[in-house]
Amino acid sequence: MDPPEERLLIEAAQRDLTRFADLYDLYFDRIYAYVARRVGDRAEAEDLVSDVFHQALANLRRFEWRGAPFSAWLFRMAANRIADRSERLGRERAIEPSPEFEEADQEEAHDRAKVFALVRELPEDQRKVLELRFAEEKSLHEVAEVLGRSEGAIKQLQLRGLENLRARIGGKHG
Amino acid sequence: MAERDRMEQLNDALDRWTPGEPVPPGGEIRELVSLARSLRQMPREFFRTQLRGQLKERAMATTSAATTFRKGFHSVTPYIIVPGAAQFIDFAKEVFGADEKLRVPTPDGSRIMHAEIQIGDSMIELSDGNEQYPPRPASIHIYLQDTDGAYQRALDAGATSLHAVEEMPYGERSGSVQDPFGNHWYIATHHGASHIPQGLRTVNSFLHVAGTAQLIEFLKQAFDAEEISVYREDADGPIRHATIRLGDTVVEMGEAHGQYGPMPSGLHYYVPDVDAVYERAIRAGATSISAPADQPYGERGAGVRDRAGNSWFIATLLRANG
Repeated sequence: MDPPEERLLIEAAQRDLTRFADLYDLYFDRIYAYVARRVGDRAEAEDLVSDVFHQALANLRRFEWRGAPFSAWLFRMAANRIADRSERLGRERAIEPSPEFEEADQEEAHDRAKVFALVRELPEDQRKVLELRFAEEKSLHEVAEVLGRSEGAIKQLQLRGLENLRARIGGKHG
Repeated sequence: MAERDRMEQLNDALDRWTPGEPVPPGGEIRELVSLARSLRQMPREFFRTQLRGQLKERAMATTSAATTFRKGFHSVTPYIIVPGAAQFIDFAKEVFGADEKLRVPTPDGSRIMHAEIQIGDSMIELSDGNEQYPPRPASIHIYLQDTDGAYQRALDAGATSLHAVEEMPYGERSGSVQDPFGNHWYIATHHGASHIPQGLRTVNSFLHVAGTAQLIEFLKQAFDAEEISVYREDADGPIRHATIRLGDTVVEMGEAHGQYGPMPSGLHYYVPDVDAVYERAIRAGATSISAPADQPYGERGAGVRDRAGNSWFIATLLRANG
């Protein structure tokens, strides 16, 4: 997104907080990818991501546009929450990563966010199977039970879902 | 390679692969396993939409709650028109423990022009109706601590059973009745931290419509509604159940079928700007019932009818009154 466009979205949300949803849609996947990579546990990753966006909403009107992208502000808050968490867990506070490392991490999160968005465009039943089977790491049997389908049907959906996703990723990059 | 072979090969490769170990070799299948692996840190869709809803609710509460709602009300309130409104109120008191908050009789005292009852954390508005507003029963999903008791009291008070009480696969104990006035009540107890599932309230409007997908599209365009969940039995089949957020309230809906035929309902919907929402609704295909106007009871209100026949009374509290 162009900086001027992003700026308009931020200003609109600052005037009317209910428009914050637009910013959320734009940045959710990136922030989630960034946090999930650093925090292995799903429940904790979800808590942290939730904290970051609640904090962003509460402080949105304080955000000043100084040319740095809005995402940098969100990543900053995410990094702080992650550091707080390791401190809370009694681990040594991680050494601040170098700016280059941090930048590479954010870019990587951006790439993975694009894949998440493509998963969301898949037909509903394929998307659900990929989510349960790979994100939630459920067995074939468990997925079949949750969705009320046969194991054969789940095998077919996981194959089609992954093939479909691969084709879409190919389409985007090539 | 035939699809069936690829299905089996992929699944075997996925089962053999343990996180942290290198992806097993094997051309195309290898590529798919590697892709599957990159999805391990994918967000759950439920989490993404739930957090979105929470943020929106919080933004709404910060921005407008105090100025647009009447005390005790939420964004959406069912408005039921029943012949015998007084008897209906007695039924709701007896069966659901409703608390009567307001009753405005017609000048000759024979009928109720407008009444409000509270059940749990929710309000229901109702009236006897007149020629302009004929009877319009509704479907209500109501969460109570004791489903069995309420179901039995409903039958004792003259309701007929639509569905006996039983455990539902989605974590609720539930049974349903049609009251003597034609309204459907889906009585339920949610098994969880509270008897009401997160995001819902004691009283929830359930719209049975012909054309649920079109209605959802309309609600998005006209009212900025947010789709929370849509459930279909078959990918191309009708929508069996959907939850949609309007302001701070979740409304349920599903395609009409069998004894759950189309049941156009009436809803009172508080918005920050009546005139703007009215215009958007008309542009999105609604017909006008009444153009925006200040009402003597302290609201600016307007009415529109969506293509499925539901009547929406959009309103905002006039400041002098708030």
